[in-house]
Amino acid sequence: MTSLLIAVFFSGCVETETPEGLTIVVVGRDSASGTREFFWEHVMEKGDFIDNMLEKNSNGAVYQTVTSTEGAIGYVGLGYLDENVKAVKIDGVMPTIANVIAGTYPISRSLNMYTNGEATGIAEEFLKYLDSTQGQAIVIDEGFVPKTAIRPYMKVEGLTGSITVVGSTTVLPVAQLAAEAFNELYGASLVAVSGGGSSVGVQSAGGGSAAIGMASRELKSSEIANYPNLVKHIVCSDGIAVIVHPSNTYVEDLTVEEIKAIYEGAYTDWNELN
Amino acid sequence: MTIKKKGDMIFTKSKRNRKEKVIKSIFFIAAIFGVVTIFSILFFLLKEAYPLPTDLWSFLSGTKWSPTESLLFGTYPLIVGTLLVTFGAMALAIPLSIGGALFISEIASSRVRSIIKPAIELLAGIPSVVYGFFGLILLTSWIKDFFGVPTGETWLAGSIILGIMAIPTITTVAEDALKAVPREYKEGSLAMGATRWQTINKVVLPTALSGITAAIILGIGRAVGETMAILMVCGNAAIIPSPLWNTFSPIRTLTSTLGIETAEVPVGGPHYHALFGVAVLLLLITLIINISAVYLLGLLQKRHNATKAKKKKPLLSITLVLKIKKILTSFVLLFLLLLLYLITGLLMTGALVVLGVLLWFMVKKLSQKSLQKIAFSTIGVSIIIILILLGIILSYIFINGTGMLSWEFLTEPPRSLGRAGGISTALIGTMYLVAGAIAIALPIGVGASIYLTEYTKESIMTKIIRTGADLLNGTPSIVFGLFGFAFFVLYLNFGFSLLAGQITLAFMIIPTILRTTEEALRSVPQAIREGSYAVGATRWQTIRRVVLPPAAPGIITGAILGIGRAAGETAPIMFTAVAFSSFFPSSFFEPVNALPYHLFIIATNVPGTAARAAAGGTALVLLLLVIGFYAIAILIRNHYQKTMKW
Repeated sequence: MTSLLIAVFFSGCVETETPEGLTIVVVGRDSASGTREFFWEHVMEKGDFIDNMLEKNSNGAVYQTVTSTEGAIGYVGLGYLDENVKAVKIDGVMPTIANVIAGTYPISRSLNMYTNGEATGIAEEFLKYLDSTQGQAIVIDEGFVPKTAIRPYMKVEGLTGSITVVGSTTVLPVAQLAAEAFNELYGASLVAVSGGGSSVGVQSAGGGSAAIGMASRELKSSEIANYPNLVKHIVCSDGIAVIVHPSNTYVEDLTVEEIKAIYEGAYTDWNELN
Repeated sequence: MTIKKKGDMIFTKSKRNRKEKVIKSIFFIAAIFGVVTIFSILFFLLKEAYPLPTDLWSFLSGTKWSPTESLLFGTYPLIVGTLLVTFGAMALAIPLSIGGALFISEIASSRVRSIIKPAIELLAGIPSVVYGFFGLILLTSWIKDFFGVPTGETWLAGSIILGIMAIPTITTVAEDALKAVPREYKEGSLAMGATRWQTINKVVLPTALSGITAAIILGIGRAVGETMAILMVCGNAAIIPSPLWNTFSPIRTLTSTLGIETAEVPVGGPHYHALFGVAVLLLLITLIINISAVYLLGLLQKRHNATKAKKKKPLLSITLVLKIKKILTSFVLLFLLLLLYLITGLLMTGALVVLGVLLWFMVKKLSQKSLQKIAFSTIGVSIIIILILLGIILSYIFINGTGMLSWEFLTEPPRSLGRAGGISTALIGTMYLVAGAIAIALPIGVGASIYLTEYTKESIMTKIIRTGADLLNGTPSIVFGLFGFAFFVLYLNFGFSLLAGQITLAFMIIPTILRTTEEALRSVPQAIREGSYAVGATRWQTIRRVVLPPAAPGIITGAILGIGRAAGETAPIMFTAVAFSSFFPSSFFEPVNALPYHLFIIATNVPGTAARAAAGGTALVLLLLVIGFYAIAILIRNHYQKTMKW
């Protein structure tokens, strides 16, 4: 017992002797995350992440850790950017919605909804609503990147019943707010939204327990084999921003190669990047 | 005078017998439920773990867990992480808890005891996600700033949180063991002129040793199986700390791997099977731990009975025991020395050893009176540390949450992802889940305990049944979650639904209800039953009219404890029932929101200060709700203990 306390004490002494500079704390997502998969394919070019990367199971948890850790670097959706974290320019381009639309910001992906066969009834109307000006306004509000083709949503008659929309926690904010507005428009509780994760979304849509499944990734081969009838519907795009602590003065701008090197563990201290 | 025909008599008698038989078999079914559940959990986890994406050896010994990129499924770092975090937690919890237990049972006046004991029992009810919330926001940044390390999300943070969580469990069970030491032993020792500390040290502690060991093992079981808090504070990097005793390394446990990866994993892929493999591993580890606890407690019982009935010849002679003890202590000392050397180097070790020897001689020279003073103040300090630790957590939650509390917060559905509006759907969802769970668990738990106490004598069968319940009790909540996911959500195709969550929670709380009910039934004196039989009542009539009414408060206590536990758990419902939603479910097959999950999501998933504030409010409501249930249960129990006299 005491030996552990001593261990704590002494390793504490050793650790505090770090020279000036700031140790890099690499923060990433868990292995099952769609965001991580995207980052791995497009930034890491399928290279290995450093072993001591902290793994978080949500964008918010990554954000949380970066806000409270001076040396941290992490990646989150654009919607999570605020004054508590500092977004890094990538190849000189700020991660903004405008830059993603213009195609100059390099890391973005689509967020999807899946239906089993073509959508009908409430599901069809809800997807139309998401595509409309009203729906895409919510997309912008939540910090995602809207689609271009836009026309206002027109209420149709005779819509009754209810559906559930289940899945990715990344798509959840948009779907949730859209459902609130959609239900208000019809004056009835037509659409209920809940989270769970991309796989839950795909599985629920394919298995029939939900009308629409949300996923922040493309279908896996095993899922296509299980549910061959799933139809993809792109809701919007999401830019992935690389964030550091606001007090981090070492970097403003990183290249994709540098980010890759950081996540591979080639750098251990921020002052090596100057 | 009417004469009854013989045939009538036989008819009514056999009818009565048949009814009795049916009732008995119903209770029997309830009783073997626990055993069946343990086996079906193991079966379904194994079923989903097959085919393991790698061979068993590299699954256990592989040093890299990279299930999606490199397709490497080595759980070795996870196992090491689990063991290290647990080890650290025990280093903190064991001395404090034993000190706390000694204080409550041996030192405190009965008035102090009547306050501190229920307070510590209440703390067993704090939901793990609340601990995690505290750890995530406060503890990790304290560690980072205090030790000047790059990140506070470390092994150390995990051990501290787990240690605090294990304290109530270990303290309560250890205190029970100390209390069970016969009074005559202490009086004998005191009469011989021993001081109170000598009596405690040489008589009470050795007698209660196996009970205390069982308490520690139960604490270890709790620590190994803990998910939500550990997931939020440990950093989850799947590495083996280098060097091994680097407490500032991030670390990943088996449970947190399941907690963060299961929800998003594609069903049926290699990663999915590997995660179920991890669950099997976790279940087996906790089974081993719990079986040893059960065994030790059984030993205690046996010895207790033996001293009551007649002295048996001890298995080992006293000199042999002493010899074994000596050998064991020298091994432990050697190990500690080695550890010390590895950590601090030769010079430091030498200095510390000299210091230790000096201290030892000093202690030897001290009078018994001053020794007692030192011992008692150490014990006093440990209880104070416990109370301070728990006080910090509670006051943090209170300070952070009270600003949010309002009628609107409780009664409005969440809007804008919990940043605005209230928590009504989460609150009601939790009520639904808990109500369903208790509706399922209560009949089964009570039925099983009636079978155990009223229908059988101690036999192999009752032993198996009781062991089944004990093992179920020690099964980590996340394992229930994965089982529920595999069985209800996928196999029975319930989907993410209220019903799946209710049943999964019910499985989890059955042991709690079973145990408290059994205790209540056993406290009804045998003579009362015999009186009932003597006037011609059947067994069922006796149970229903004579045994159950006085046992009712005990049963209610068990039910409320079960409710409290079910309300606070996140892991079992995370993959079976919950969804972040602002709607009430309209059928049993729809997902629901629940308080602990709501807290978990807005604390980790929703950005912005509004979400932080809402998380504080939710944590407080959850805490109040769960602690409220526990408080009611403890009050009923205490009242009943005081007023019930036979």
